[in-house]
Amino acid sequence: MFTTAAQLLDLTDKKLLVILRDGRKLIGVLRSWDQFANLVLQDTIERVYAENEKVFASVPRGLYLVRGENVLMLGEIDLDKDDYVPEPYREESTNVVDALHRKEIKEQKDKEKSTRAKLQAFGFEGELAGEVMF
Amino acid sequence: MLPLGLLNAAIGHPMLVELKDGETLNGHLVNCDTWMNLTLKEVVQTMPDGEHFFRLPEVYVRGNNIKYLRVPDEIVDLVKEQQQRDQASRGGRGGSNQRGDHHGGRGDRGRGDNRGVVRH
Repeated sequence: MFTTAAQLLDLTDKKLLVILRDGRKLIGVLRSWDQFANLVLQDTIERVYAENEKVFASVPRGLYLVRGENVLMLGEIDLDKDDYVPEPYREESTNVVDALHRKEIKEQKDKEKSTRAKLQAFGFEGELAGEVMF
Repeated sequence: MLPLGLLNAAIGHPMLVELKDGETLNGHLVNCDTWMNLTLKEVVQTMPDGEHFFRLPEVYVRGNNIKYLRVPDEIVDLVKEQQQRDQASRGGRGGSNQRGDHHGGRGDRGRGDNRGVVRH
């Protein structure tokens, strides 16, 4: 058996943080997986962060089937430390965080766009034109 | 139960499919296969900006474009029931082995990926 598969076996029925390639952070219980690392997550919540404001929100999402290709990383959550929120972060309402989060994403997209435009002026053609992770 | 087993159990139920490009499809699952290709009916397609919507009577999704699926919580219970039924119909014993029940004299050795293996 692949070592990675053995590791997933150890994580089965554990509470995990799964980060997707698009930057989404899902927290749920791993119930099932296969050779492609397709994952079934139960009682999933999505954590949304507004990094500049140091706030986050938890959105209940339920049952997920994540296609393995889109997983960036995952790790087990230590239940003893699960409720601990490190300084200076604090939990806020979904509406507030969501608005801030969208704003931050938009700002970053704009920044990337202007960087690309400036590079192009120097003759650098789209090194980042492909997939930008976040 | 494997992830694709869960998907099979979700046939006929409503679900949300998000594609890699950020589009979401809300509809009822009509059918699926081992490549995660899907057919959906009564679909509402939402564009990545979240502001433009389309109503589509029927949709085919090629599996490789899927990011994730969100299915109703009840499907888990459904899968459990289905599993128990399958086990009973197989005569109780030996029902739990999902692997290793090859039919031919030789297994499927020498094939790198076993996507095509049918597990009954």
